[in-house]
Amino acid sequence: MDWKGYTVIYVVLFVFATAQAVVEFVGIVDSAYWLAFGIIMVLSVVKAVGVAAYYQHLRWEPRAVTYLVLGGTVAALALTAAAAYSIV
Amino acid sequence: MSEAHDHGLPPKSSVSRWFLTTNHKDIGVLYLVTALFFLVFGGLLALLFRLELITPGADLLGSLGYNQAVSTHGLLMVFWFISPFAFGFANYVVPLQIGADDLAFPRLNALSYWLYLFSGVLMGVSFFQGSTFAGGWTMYAPLNTPAYIPGEGLGATSVVLALIMFTAAVTLGSVNFLTTMYRMRAEGLRMRDIPIFSLSINLTVWMMLFAFAALLAALMILTSDHILGTTYFQFANDGSTLATDADNPGASLLWAHLFWFFGHPEVYIVFFPALGVMAECFQTFTGRRLVGRKWFIISMVLVAIQSFAVWMHHMFLTGINLPIKTIFMATTIGISLPFDLMVFSLIYTMAKGRVRFTTPFLFSLGALILFIVGGITGVFLGAIVLDYQFRGTYWVVAHFHYVMVSGATALFGGLYYWYPKITGKMYDETLGKIHFATYFVGFNLLYFPMFVAWETPRRVFEYSQDLQIWHSMATVGGFILGASMLIMFYNLFVSLWRGEDVGDNPWAYATTAEWAVSSPPPLENFPGVPTYADGSLSFMDDEEVARRTSGPGGSGVAADGGTAADGGTASVTTAATATPATPAHEAAGEEHASHASFWPFLVSLGGFVAFLGLSGVRTGSVVYVSMAAVGGLVTVGSLFGMTREPFHAPEMPIAERWPFASVEKMKLGMWTFLASDIVLFGAFIGSYAFVRVAYGWSEWHHDLIPAEHVTMPGLINTYLLLTSSFLVVLAMVAAERESKKGTTAALAGTFALGVGFLINKGIEWNHLFHISTEMFPNGWNLSTNIASSTFYLTTGLHGAHVTIGLLICAYMTYRAWTGAYQGDDRAIEYFGLYWHFVDIVWLFLFPLFYIL
Ligand SMILES: [Cu+2]
Repeated sequence: MDWKGYTVIYVVLFVFATAQAVVEFVGIVDSAYWLAFGIIMVLSVVKAVGVAAYYQHLRWEPRAVTYLVLGGTVAALALTAAAAYSIV
Repeated sequence: MSEAHDHGLPPKSSVSRWFLTTNHKDIGVLYLVTALFFLVFGGLLALLFRLELITPGADLLGSLGYNQAVSTHGLLMVFWFISPFAFGFANYVVPLQIGADDLAFPRLNALSYWLYLFSGVLMGVSFFQGSTFAGGWTMYAPLNTPAYIPGEGLGATSVVLALIMFTAAVTLGSVNFLTTMYRMRAEGLRMRDIPIFSLSINLTVWMMLFAFAALLAALMILTSDHILGTTYFQFANDGSTLATDADNPGASLLWAHLFWFFGHPEVYIVFFPALGVMAECFQTFTGRRLVGRKWFIISMVLVAIQSFAVWMHHMFLTGINLPIKTIFMATTIGISLPFDLMVFSLIYTMAKGRVRFTTPFLFSLGALILFIVGGITGVFLGAIVLDYQFRGTYWVVAHFHYVMVSGATALFGGLYYWYPKITGKMYDETLGKIHFATYFVGFNLLYFPMFVAWETPRRVFEYSQDLQIWHSMATVGGFILGASMLIMFYNLFVSLWRGEDVGDNPWAYATTAEWAVSSPPPLENFPGVPTYADGSLSFMDDEEVARRTSGPGGSGVAADGGTAADGGTASVTTAATATPATPAHEAAGEEHASHASFWPFLVSLGGFVAFLGLSGVRTGSVVYVSMAAVGGLVTVGSLFGMTREPFHAPEMPIAERWPFASVEKMKLGMWTFLASDIVLFGAFIGSYAFVRVAYGWSEWHHDLIPAEHVTMPGLINTYLLLTSSFLVVLAMVAAERESKKGTTAALAGTFALGVGFLINKGIEWNHLFHISTEMFPNGWNLSTNIASSTFYLTTGLHGAHVTIGLLICAYMTYRAWTGAYQGDDRAIEYFGLYWHFVDIVWLFLFPLFYIL
């Protein structure tokens, strides 16, 4: 990827981060908490995938590297979700 | 052996050899010897409290003495004996079995060993700090926190730190073994074809990589509770009302979740290598290939994956809800099924072959029998209703000793099995058989009565008088078991001199590659580059390698980034000092690989001193504080020395590398490490989510967080980190274009933005520490409440990652300024992988800790 591509990604990341803060500043967090929660977390996931795919070049690595990363992610999510569910 | 070929490594008779060596076989031997030392240590403690238990009551050791002995026995056996013992074999045998000349990162391997050794020394030292940890090997909260520990509790802190050090060793080891097994298999050796012991190690290190990261999170949080004063595992924060959990209702369960998320995979981490040894011995001594090998392997893979989804069967008696208990009962019963298949596979292999009852086989068979007993009695505990009855009794003690010590039994078999390979001498077969007979009798006399006396409460020295006969039997059994080990030590020691010389292969039907070379094997393992291309093992000489790799499409040549590079974040920068791809005939030659480095020992020594110091910094004692400072300096300094040391560990010129063929070893090592770091951060974020759910997700923000904690500092830091990530990729672009100025400027910019991030954070923290509002008159600091604890510790861990990244970045900026990286951006790319990861973590910390 050349510097132009990297720059496009950077701009998108910057805008999404701002959008997350905007969601709070306009008051959605107070008025519709779980909607805000959803929007903000989806934005974080999109940003994370963008950084991993383009800046860490996962797009161009063998799929196995992505599975390695997903393995760790799934393990962490399983722990978090199951533990939280066990006490609700 | 030919000392001319030892490449700066002193002979084995010299003491300095063992401090310098990075060779996998030497390190394997070091692991074996050290692990056996910890077996004796843990075993003597066990004999002590078995003596105590001859009669009910603590009349021999006293109550604290008893609790210390029991806790340390458990920790030593589970962590410092059994896994490292297995990894002694893994170190020695795996490279030989897969056709590699060493592990991928030899110095990192030495570092793993020394961290392991020093972590064990720290365990020993903890006894002399008043008292060591006495809260049981599972270290349940809140008994693991200072308020609940008798005395100053410095020894207990040392134990937690020792475990962290041990975990560091394990994580480095996992990265190393995975990289080795995916990058250095002999040509033609598919993953499914590698010998079953190596395969069992492969699955073990996969489980280690993820499970130990969760344990590391638990231990780091606990350390922070001990040293920094966070309150994750404490019920109340004012120091007076310890009995209430209103402030932090998740405290106790959080530990249980983190610990058992690690703890159940740990059972298989301990048992899989033993299973691998059993399979090897069954094949060799029945002369049969493992019946249903494919299904055996599939079963192991299934178990390895599923092991992460059964942990709550250790929590049936806690307050978790019934639906989740039911789910985990089902997954637990499910995980026992693949084991049935493996057990039958071993039995059929035996039934179809012609058995030779050698000592290794007897131990393997014994292990199988003990494991069947242990497995069946475990199913009782996996059923919720039965567990209500059995939990906390000697049923559990008996069950897991049947499982764990059956693993140890198989590993003793492994010791006899590979002893001739490692030493070149044969042990005394008669003494070996006597050892097995005594061992087997002692084992069952020790543990079987515990099933009968199952109503004895676990962990305490009091029990009902009418169970005394069973406990007396167990104590006698314990001493017989201990004495049987003396027979083994005597046999193996004396055989070093008196044993018959063995050739390459003393076992008629052993077929794996370690038996194809001399005993012990030469330093470089093989007479050429191993290949299975035509179906059996042969060796390519330099000429053939050169011919194969120089022609058009000589696909095997690894772009060699490994001159001084040895994995880990600290030394990633050195990949840049790599010589351009070494000519193949040189890479294949045996003259060029390095085998000696003193830095791993020094790094670990520094770590030991630093951790010992940290255990006591909360007392403010000058001795402890200066030990922490000096130790820290020695560690960082030696890591730097290790980075600068020229050390050559060439990639194999021709190798089987599925599924990571195009991911060269430094990159694969880095990604593997990051995968475990994902679990570490995941567990921190998961802990935050858990205690917040326990408290009440929505009330949390309102009750516990001051209005002064605003979004803006977080948003600014997000911009800083995103921009710094952008600059790292620009540095790569500049390096590719050979723009020295551009590379230097981009890296310097990254550094500046990172420093800006830390300064901004410092200002923010300082402000929050010193606020004075109606709700928080004394500021909002680490100990204020559970929300402040999670905020400071989680973002603090992230800040520590930033700091480490900045150290590397500063070094790389300097190197770029002196002209490095031009035309070769790999070092920047590997640093970038780490830095972008730290960025990604922040992308989640920002909303979770600043917005939601
Ligand atoms: Cu379990």
